[in-house]
Amino acid sequence: MPMLKLIKEVLRVGNATVPYPFVKPDLVPGFRGKPEYDPIQCIACAACVIACPPNALNMETDLEAGMRTWSIYYGRCIFCARCEEVCPTGAIHLGDDFELASFSRDDLTVRADFRLASCTQCGAYFASAKSLDRVLALLDQAGLPPESAEDRKALIKMCPECRRKTDLPRVKVIVQEAFDGRL
Amino acid sequence: MEDYNIKTDTAFAIQPDEATDKLKGALLKGIQRSCYVYRVDCGGCNGCEIEIFAAITPIFDAERFGIKVVSSPRHADVLVYTGAVTRSMRVPALRAYHAAPNPKVCVAYGACGCSGGIFHDLYCVWGGADKILPIDMYIPGCPPTPLATVHGFAVALGLLKQKMQMVHHVQGEDEHSQLLFPEVPLELRVEVERESRRMAGYWAGRNIAHTFLGLIKERDSKEAIADVDAYLKGQDDPRLTEIVNRLEEIFLSKNA
Repeated sequence: MPMLKLIKEVLRVGNATVPYPFVKPDLVPGFRGKPEYDPIQCIACAACVIACPPNALNMETDLEAGMRTWSIYYGRCIFCARCEEVCPTGAIHLGDDFELASFSRDDLTVRADFRLASCTQCGAYFASAKSLDRVLALLDQAGLPPESAEDRKALIKMCPECRRKTDLPRVKVIVQEAFDGRL
Repeated sequence: MEDYNIKTDTAFAIQPDEATDKLKGALLKGIQRSCYVYRVDCGGCNGCEIEIFAAITPIFDAERFGIKVVSSPRHADVLVYTGAVTRSMRVPALRAYHAAPNPKVCVAYGACGCSGGIFHDLYCVWGGADKILPIDMYIPGCPPTPLATVHGFAVALGLLKQKMQMVHHVQGEDEHSQLLFPEVPLELRVEVERESRRMAGYWAGRNIAHTFLGLIKERDSKEAIADVDAYLKGQDDPRLTEIVNRLEEIFLSKNA
């Protein structure tokens, strides 16, 4: 009779096996899968690259060509979501795709090329064009006083070096006024 | 890619000869099932091993596809390399490779096996199994979940198609990133995000702040607060309630 008992027990318990890959599996909320990248939203600021613990994210700047290349190699990603938490634009987030197996390492790579912005004074490349756009949009949103808005924006379109050079004479005037010409 | 982060330096890797490659093709095409897997731990943290064993339990049951883990490389068709390949594990890894009969399939398993993972620039590792061996299949993950393991083997054996593809985006002419909550005043958004991250920690804080900002938008404060309270009731989480109540206070103080 023990055999019959066993069959009864098996029928009662049923089948525990997840019928993957024939059925889509239920994933827990907060499952950290493949980082999904949206290059349209990305401003090439490199916050994710700095945060990435295993250097799966990578960025190269070519100052000659004025291009910046963002890349991810999924083979090195440890799915920690640090890129997601630092991304200021929501361009990268961890989705629920775990089916990453691939025959070659090239298929595990995503790359995106971005243009750099050149300084309005000296023409040197200094930041990605999209990040500059975004800073200007944020300034608009913050609501600068209209008399200084154009001036501020013109400064932001310069490289740090030219910005300093342009700003210094004005600072000098301000300081002299403050000290009433005693300097 | 030439940079050190994505090393493609496989100059030291064993190159199988043509005849072996041909045989391997026959193995992959002709058999498709009933393969014996031998697992080589080349200095991993054991996370990958735990997931491999989870994959052969009744819940995930890799044996449905005839995948069986064996305890000797002499029986193996598939060699699974986990770990970042430490200096001292290089020779044992090569011995396991040579001990397995041809044709054999080598799988790099986990972030460490694929590329060295978080240990890729340590002095004592080779940074991935493909630096010393001809790898046919990469299964990334840290560790790969049992389902990812099952999927990886199914792809390696040709039962499923590979999903991943290389993507190369080039910035378009008129490409702009959108501001995240353009209707919420910048000052309010910054303060809400800071407070939320301070209270809930970084990742969760960001998510809570974004849910909150999505709920309030630019609407009338009473209407917005009613929406937020309805959301809190639905979540029924005292910790979340505590944090969101604080965010509400900030929102009201800014709107007053």
